[in-house]
Amino acid sequence: MKAKIIRKQDIADLLDNLLRKYEVFAPVKRDDLVVCDRIGSGSEAFLDYTNSIKPPKEILFPQSETLFTYSSFDDAANIKVPLSKERPYLLFGIRPCDARSLTLLDKVFNEEKYKDVYYLNRRANMVVVAIGCVKPRATCFCTSVGGGPFSPEGSDLLLADIGDDYIVQVITDKGAKLLEEREAEDAGEDKLALMRKAIREAEASILPQITIDGLKEKLDRVFDDPIWGVLSEKCISCGVCTYLCPTCYCFDIVDEARDSGGERLRIWDSCQFPLFTLQASGVNPRPTNKERYRQRIMHKFSYCIDDYGQIGCVGCGRCVTECPVNLDIRQVLTTISNK
Amino acid sequence: MTDLSNQIRESARKLLQQREVELVIGFEQGTLPLRNTPCFIRGQEEAERLIWGSFCDNNLANYLVKRQEKVAIVAKGCDVRAIVELIKEKQVTREQVIIIGIPCQGMVDRRRIEAELEGKEILEVGEGDDKLILKGDGFTRVLNWNEYLYPSCEACTHRNPVIYDILIGDMVEEKATDRYADIAEFETKSPEERWQYISDEASKCIRCYACRNTCPLCYCQECFVDDTHPQWIGKTTNISDTIIFHIMRALHLAGRCVECGACERACPTGVDIRKLNRKLASDVKELFHYEAGISLDQVAPLATFRPDDPEGFMLNP
Amino acid sequence: MKNPYLPLPMRIDRVVTETEDKNIKTFSLSFLNSEDETGFKYIPGQFAELSVLGKGEAPFSIASSPTQEGRLEFTVNKVGVVTTALHNMEPGETVGVRGPLGNGYPIEALKGKNIVIIGGGFGFTSLRALTNFMLVQRNRSNFGDITVIYGARSPGLLLYKDELQEWGKQDDLQLYVTVDRGDEEWKGKVGVVPAIAKEVAPGSNNAYALVCGPPVMIRFTLPVVQELGFPPERTLLSLEMRMKCGLGKCGRCNIGNKYVCRDGPVFTLAELNQLPREY
Repeated sequence: MKAKIIRKQDIADLLDNLLRKYEVFAPVKRDDLVVCDRIGSGSEAFLDYTNSIKPPKEILFPQSETLFTYSSFDDAANIKVPLSKERPYLLFGIRPCDARSLTLLDKVFNEEKYKDVYYLNRRANMVVVAIGCVKPRATCFCTSVGGGPFSPEGSDLLLADIGDDYIVQVITDKGAKLLEEREAEDAGEDKLALMRKAIREAEASILPQITIDGLKEKLDRVFDDPIWGVLSEKCISCGVCTYLCPTCYCFDIVDEARDSGGERLRIWDSCQFPLFTLQASGVNPRPTNKERYRQRIMHKFSYCIDDYGQIGCVGCGRCVTECPVNLDIRQVLTTISNK
Repeated sequence: MTDLSNQIRESARKLLQQREVELVIGFEQGTLPLRNTPCFIRGQEEAERLIWGSFCDNNLANYLVKRQEKVAIVAKGCDVRAIVELIKEKQVTREQVIIIGIPCQGMVDRRRIEAELEGKEILEVGEGDDKLILKGDGFTRVLNWNEYLYPSCEACTHRNPVIYDILIGDMVEEKATDRYADIAEFETKSPEERWQYISDEASKCIRCYACRNTCPLCYCQECFVDDTHPQWIGKTTNISDTIIFHIMRALHLAGRCVECGACERACPTGVDIRKLNRKLASDVKELFHYEAGISLDQVAPLATFRPDDPEGFMLNP
Repeated sequence: MKNPYLPLPMRIDRVVTETEDKNIKTFSLSFLNSEDETGFKYIPGQFAELSVLGKGEAPFSIASSPTQEGRLEFTVNKVGVVTTALHNMEPGETVGVRGPLGNGYPIEALKGKNIVIIGGGFGFTSLRALTNFMLVQRNRSNFGDITVIYGARSPGLLLYKDELQEWGKQDDLQLYVTVDRGDEEWKGKVGVVPAIAKEVAPGSNNAYALVCGPPVMIRFTLPVVQELGFPPERTLLSLEMRMKCGLGKCGRCNIGNKYVCRDGPVFTLAELNQLPREY
């Protein structure tokens, strides 16, 4: 399908229209922050933003997910799974890095052997409309990890901001179908030229900040190097980097009981937390921030490649801007590369 | 600021050269324009990395707990108060720490600057004459540095180190601020309004524990959050559990929190964490005439009992 | 689509207190629904997540052999919330079971070989499952000589005492039971497992060594096994890590790029030597 054009002033109406059929999630302003949340009307969407503080993974993989409920503690035969038939989801206005993160999460939660019914229940009919980044930030390094400010991976439709309008590129059939129902105009050649210019400039503006070539092999070799202790010394083992990361997916499974009955929940957890790998015997294979930080880097830039064939990082830069002690993953990887 | 940086480097070099300490904990330039970052110096040739600037906002006392070696630490007024508390709580000994104290004029709140610039990305920052010169793609903005301090710095009444071994720079005048004025104002609100405020703030919390981990006085090996026998609170972002987390942490810090603001700065979602801590600090000051981290000789009021301790809450609940 | 997080209901049929200090009990469970039983096909060495509703889940090796139909046995050491709750449960009560999980012992590779089992303390559970599997009449001829060396800190802490007595009387395996410290009644061997393994000196020709036990026992047993001539490819270990999902997803139990719950818990020493030292 050819690229279409939509005027920015028509977006709110378009979303109102889509709200009739979809549960729509879009960036919204909450005080000084932008978060990706359910909207009730098209005017709530705030698209003139850099990126949301929390990644959209929480829409498919919520911070707290009820796996099942039980009305009494000895009733293992009658547990109830709260899988509802919801309206299809529309994820509108996320950035290409976040859309790309879905391609990794899909592999994790949709494996041949173990399919995560909760994730897939929402994912199956979800449509993803991403907005490319005409003004990437200095902390963005998507191009270094195989993505880009206009990468189509993970999106069904990809919007490009060319001033008063958005050009809509159709990436998948799902996206085409969504557009078909809207009767959008074809984009003219002059507008397409503007888009191509914006894309070129955006891509050129992101400087390469880490070298992926040879990084995995280097990481696999330097596992026991004392450099890890030096690099991680200031890390305070909180969960900011992992919780804000679009591709982090570690979780815990806990029971919460009431007087009678309760529920089993899957909740976000972080490999950076000190007790993450603590065994009942008291042994902890990752006792200090050194082992834990190393695990994070190894997992993202080596083990994920072994398991899923892609790097576990999309270069969004959230961990870089939000780390309370400015432990910069780009600096860490460059130091390792140069070893 | 450059002169102060040089003085810090010189002190660090000397201390390491004379083997008075094995480690100097200070700040170095961060990887982003508005950031400085903690650094750990063990060789005198590394002392060059140390700097002092308007973004040295971490509380480095966080890195002192349970150290075996002798360390020197660059500490501003609030950081020194934390060190005093840690010494009193026997997490580190006075002899172990060489305090490189710096009278502080306040640290610049990078998020306030970013809000002021309405999301335009800052690529370079220069400091001079009380001004911040911010440069980005196609713009330069000059701001008055002291109009963009962290709230904790604006309310600070202990900018000078209360103890030190080496003093960098000159003592500054302490501000005569009524630092709990906003707490008093908050207390005039109805219980429903106050609860609504606390709930709204807690609903932003993502339970990342950055606040807890960055706080020098939160050093428990196993935090109450992680207890399983019994489990005190749930681990989800359920609003009740989250509010209880913040309330309990504030209670555990009552009489110990030095109001440095590190918790608030670490929070990625902008939760007003200090409100509860400062309410309790204000109560402790009123009821026990005590402020945390001012004197090595003062025992924390919740760690001791005096016959004249207030009993009103027991007798007139 | 099968929901991988859903436990199947099982009834506790029997509880046996294994050890003198009462900290280890073996639970014999049966499925409430017969179709769950037919669907639960496992091999020795695999594990399952046992659920106590309201408390949580914890992973346990399946201590019974799949040839023992109609039941699953789990030997549980009381160390935390879930295990304490289990220990307080009686026959007739219901628990949940999720599994089978993990890779189990490589039965096909073990066929035709001599099997040397060296287990210590609580680590003996999955080895016991394997031993019973091999001893069953229809399986026995698939395997060569079976040597079992098992030890505990004291006689009161030995698991499966009745079974050990039975095995001792059989002539289709060689059983050596030892304790670190004996008591007045103990007539058997006294000595730590690695020392007894050295003394027994089982042949390594055409044989596999399967070792399981606490980290300190493994650390001292592996050199003995190596000296006896077992190559790393024919030395099997069953590892224990903190686990939650059991599916290789939650990120907790990985050693390098291997998840103990998914690629293990059984590894050859050769495989382990390729992995980072993080366990």
